[in-house]
Amino acid sequence: MANTARPAVPHVSMQRAGDHAATTRHLFLLPYLIVFTLFRFGPIVVGWLISLTRWSLFGSPRWIGAANYRALWHDPLFWVSVKNTLAFTAMAAPTLILGGLALAVLLDQPLRGRHLARVLIFAPYAVMSAVVGVLWNWLYDTNFGIVNYYLGLVGLPSIAWLTNEHVALAAIALTTVWWTVGYNMVIYLAGLQEVPTELQEAGIIDGATFWQRFRYITLPLLAPTTYAVVILTMINTGQVFDQIYVMTAGGPGTATLTLVQYMYYQAFQTYNLGYGAAVAYATFVALLLITLGVQRLFRPEAAV
Amino acid sequence: MTRTLVRAVLYLAIIGAVMAAILPLIWMASTSLKPEGQILSYPPRWLPAKPTTENYASVLRRFKFGRWTLNSIIVAVAGTGLVVVVDALAGYALARLRSRGSDLLFALIISMLLVPIQVTVIPLFLLFAEFHLLDSFTALILPVTSNITGVLLMRQFFMGFPPELEEAARIDGAAEARIWWSVVMPVSGPALAAVAALTFVSSWNSLLWPLIAINSDRVRTLPVGIAQYMGSHAGASGSAPAYGPALASATMATLPALLVFFLLQRYFVRGISTTGLKG
Repeated sequence: MANTARPAVPHVSMQRAGDHAATTRHLFLLPYLIVFTLFRFGPIVVGWLISLTRWSLFGSPRWIGAANYRALWHDPLFWVSVKNTLAFTAMAAPTLILGGLALAVLLDQPLRGRHLARVLIFAPYAVMSAVVGVLWNWLYDTNFGIVNYYLGLVGLPSIAWLTNEHVALAAIALTTVWWTVGYNMVIYLAGLQEVPTELQEAGIIDGATFWQRFRYITLPLLAPTTYAVVILTMINTGQVFDQIYVMTAGGPGTATLTLVQYMYYQAFQTYNLGYGAAVAYATFVALLLITLGVQRLFRPEAAV
Repeated sequence: MTRTLVRAVLYLAIIGAVMAAILPLIWMASTSLKPEGQILSYPPRWLPAKPTTENYASVLRRFKFGRWTLNSIIVAVAGTGLVVVVDALAGYALARLRSRGSDLLFALIISMLLVPIQVTVIPLFLLFAEFHLLDSFTALILPVTSNITGVLLMRQFFMGFPPELEEAARIDGAAEARIWWSVVMPVSGPALAAVAALTFVSSWNSLLWPLIAINSDRVRTLPVGIAQYMGSHAGASGSAPAYGPALASATMATLPALLVFFLLQRYFVRGISTTGLKG
């Protein structure tokens, strides 16, 4: 009896130590849970509730149900900003994704100076968005900017990059590519390191050309990386704000008014907080639908 | 023969990409050193004929540029410090507490990555207004701590961390907090550096929330100052600076960031690769 009970004693105390450890580790989570709830999860939920009210900064909120969303549906400026956001994403996202992939494949080749080139191409990412806007305002200057100067040298006419309503959004998309393509390159370079070299070598032995190896070995193995890059890029381009705020502030006219610009305008320039929140939520739902679409397209086997 | 040709084309492509990336920055620094008359000279000159610091002096004289810089440093350093501690604790707990509850919690946290941050700014504005904390460092620093990428990175790191070390310490009777601090933290340097590098840059560059939360030079950060006084808005407010001072302030804001970036670039790369590959 005593003999059988004895081994159980250390077991029980170990168990208790384990419980104690688990409790401590729950305490480890506490600081993050507090800030996450207060500054992320809470605001996300409350934002939805605010979008169901009429709330001007100087009055008290009034519950109006889905009226803001019905108003959005009939709001031409909202649809202009939807169209501009989609157009911006359609121009910037594919360029950022394919450009990042091309640069990564290029700088993965055994060439001299590739490490330095990677750092330099990634460097614009370290420049703050406000500076990116100020710098490119100047580069794009219609009369004195160097972009038009060099276009002139090869015989092309001057372009009013930021003041022509048909060009401004594309000009900002180009600036965005310059600024962040290095980020996608870095992710793709990491993805390329996970492609086993044996497969590439087998491809070479079988006489596959570079393009065939890329198409049938590298690209399929990069699918999970591409999935991550596509999602990150879509979310970031769909939320574009900073560059536009600094470069054109939505203009000329409404040519570069995007969804986040419009949210900012409604909530913090005319102080329609409820309506602004509805714009923000509509943006969220649009991005979510795009993300789910991408997810269906890729169906990655391994989720998070 | 074709091999040499292919290599030549590849090198040309690399040189082209590098030039496209850095020439605008070189142009920015060079133009900031030109006297007002030369800035608008045609054809443009890549090197200023008579370099001058007058643009820099003008920025420092007309704007509280030093104050903005100090504010940016305060916000970024405090925010990064808090994030590193909070995320290292939470990431460790999430990696080591394997229960259905903690997995669910982690899934909830990660799913919030898909919610654009813009959704939170209106509620945050009202929250800080309620406590009379708008236009304060508190309003700028606290929301940074709810960052999700850092928790994701730390959890990923601790998942790959061999549990034997902690178990040895546990058998010796060390308390959990002590194990975390003296066994786990000392070997987590690279992961902490990756989280710190990413957090610092995102806080340093952050524009939208500070723009909303701030309206005085006392706490105005660099991006807000530059955007408000040097961007397209400046024209409307009647204080549009000439290009010289605008580019001088842009250069001053960029040089420290680039320096930090070149020193810490492998931590950036590590952080970004991990979020991209495993996020």
